[in-house]
Amino acid sequence: MNFSPVYQPFELSAEQLREAALHFASNPLYLDNEEWENDDNPYRRQLRPQVLQHLDFTKKLSRSEILNYESLAAQRLLTTIYESDLMFLPQSGFGEKYEDFKRFYSSTNRALGEMIRPALERHSFGFLDDEVEVTGKWTRASLEAFLRDLENEQPQPSLAETAIEKSSDPARAARMWLIQFIPDFMSEASPMIRNVMGHYGPVQSDWFKVIIDEYGYGVHDTKHSTLFENTLSSVGLRTDLHHYWQYYLSSSMLLSNYFHYLGKNHELLFRYLGALYYTETTLVDFCRRAANLLTSVFGEEADVTYFTEHVHIDTHHGRMALEKLILPIVDACGEAVIPEIVRGFEEFKVLAQVNDEDFAAQIEWMDGGPTNKALHEPVWEGIQQGRVTAPIADLIEPRGELSNTHCHNGDELCHIVSGTMKFVAGFNSHQILEAGQGTVIRKNRLHGAIIESEECVYQIHSVGDYRACLS
Amino acid sequence: MLVLTFAVSGAGNCVEVGGAPFVYARTTLGSFVLPARCSHRGGPLHLARVEPGRARLICPWHEQATSVKRLARTGIPAVRRGEVVTAVFADATPDNWSTGHLPLSPDLDGTSVSV
Repeated sequence: MNFSPVYQPFELSAEQLREAALHFASNPLYLDNEEWENDDNPYRRQLRPQVLQHLDFTKKLSRSEILNYESLAAQRLLTTIYESDLMFLPQSGFGEKYEDFKRFYSSTNRALGEMIRPALERHSFGFLDDEVEVTGKWTRASLEAFLRDLENEQPQPSLAETAIEKSSDPARAARMWLIQFIPDFMSEASPMIRNVMGHYGPVQSDWFKVIIDEYGYGVHDTKHSTLFENTLSSVGLRTDLHHYWQYYLSSSMLLSNYFHYLGKNHELLFRYLGALYYTETTLVDFCRRAANLLTSVFGEEADVTYFTEHVHIDTHHGRMALEKLILPIVDACGEAVIPEIVRGFEEFKVLAQVNDEDFAAQIEWMDGGPTNKALHEPVWEGIQQGRVTAPIADLIEPRGELSNTHCHNGDELCHIVSGTMKFVAGFNSHQILEAGQGTVIRKNRLHGAIIESEECVYQIHSVGDYRACLS
Repeated sequence: MLVLTFAVSGAGNCVEVGGAPFVYARTTLGSFVLPARCSHRGGPLHLARVEPGRARLICPWHEQATSVKRLARTGIPAVRRGEVVTAVFADATPDNWSTGHLPLSPDLDGTSVSV
């Protein structure tokens, strides 16, 4: 008797997904931290599991929702899952961290992560299906013309760069900027390496040359991540991996995770090539501007070799991506793969724009701390006068209680009833809130808090749009 | 080859290349760069409706039918990113184009596309 099994693609129900995400994130490695920063432990990442049971990862986020808390939670999860494929060791040796090492790389941790990864990817990157649409009959010649047209674009300073230049505290803003690059630059080219395993002809070998450059030809001092560590150290930042985990914006991880997403899912190989060409080509001018910006903010003590190196080498990498990878792979695989290459090119543009806008808004939020604190009074008055009826959360927390960084999907008002709270809006950015004071918390802006009195009683009013409370 | 970027809708949604106008059409059957003039007698194809139950555009002048599948699969190569579209015109030169505006029928302007 023949047996014909029916193949069913792997998919979790909403309830299974919620349970699996919570199961993964309840690992002791991922619980809330009592400090703002991690201390030379690359396995500790704060995933706020206590909130996950309230999130629905089954639906695709839209473009307008991509900075909501669900996205931040998903990107933190994905960064953790992707990075369990990579090797990290503490700088100062193991000691008690050996147990964390074993937990992080355990089969259990990795299997649980793999179970939720496809749904998290669909949740986080699915909006690109609507944002980018490829049509028509693409040929090798039209693809080449399309890609080479990037050389005709006039590079402009990004919103992020302008935000740093115009910030009330450019050094703080520039450090926050460098922190955003850590998930990408500290393990630079690791997502790319996912594509050079296997056996597929000359393109594989040419791609390996790009990786050799990124890895500094086996000389550790010239490895690009080493150069980036030097940049961090030169401006007073720590270099132990994910020391600043709580200050990563969701869009910064979105950008970095995009390449892991494409590299992990090999059916997206051609999309990876399109995104690679875009990033390698545009990095030349970006790195030139970045080196100048960091020098203007920090002076000559800023080590910008990481960026000046890329001004040089990415001139070659952009050309290599087109002439040695993309066009040969079209010759080898046929023109049917071109729409995917075009899609990757455009998708990365979308994500870069999301990240640029997000970072600029975060700097405005950090700089606006005193303004947001001053807004408490009229907004609080509006609530008391009944202009807005908002859900209220009453909270009592003891000294030292640290609300790990997060964001909200609408504006909120934090009102201190008694005690003292240190409200943190980003790296080195905070306001002290005493009884009767508070702050407006803007939609989608990363923040956290720590209690600095024996006890603090406070309220969170979910007002949606704080302007509705103003007369 | 001429690579042009233009708006999906509103001002600047029409690009004229070598005297021929093109728009970007978003239909329930797919999206594509659409020659704004009908190949029959030059009617306003940008105001065409989709024939009910069939994947064809019907020109408002003489009811000439144009295959949507052909436009999407074998038409001008293009990519939409948000509200802008970039298209590659094979037989065009850099000094022979301009942008303008043409209204689109409800079947072509994306309002019928659920996203």
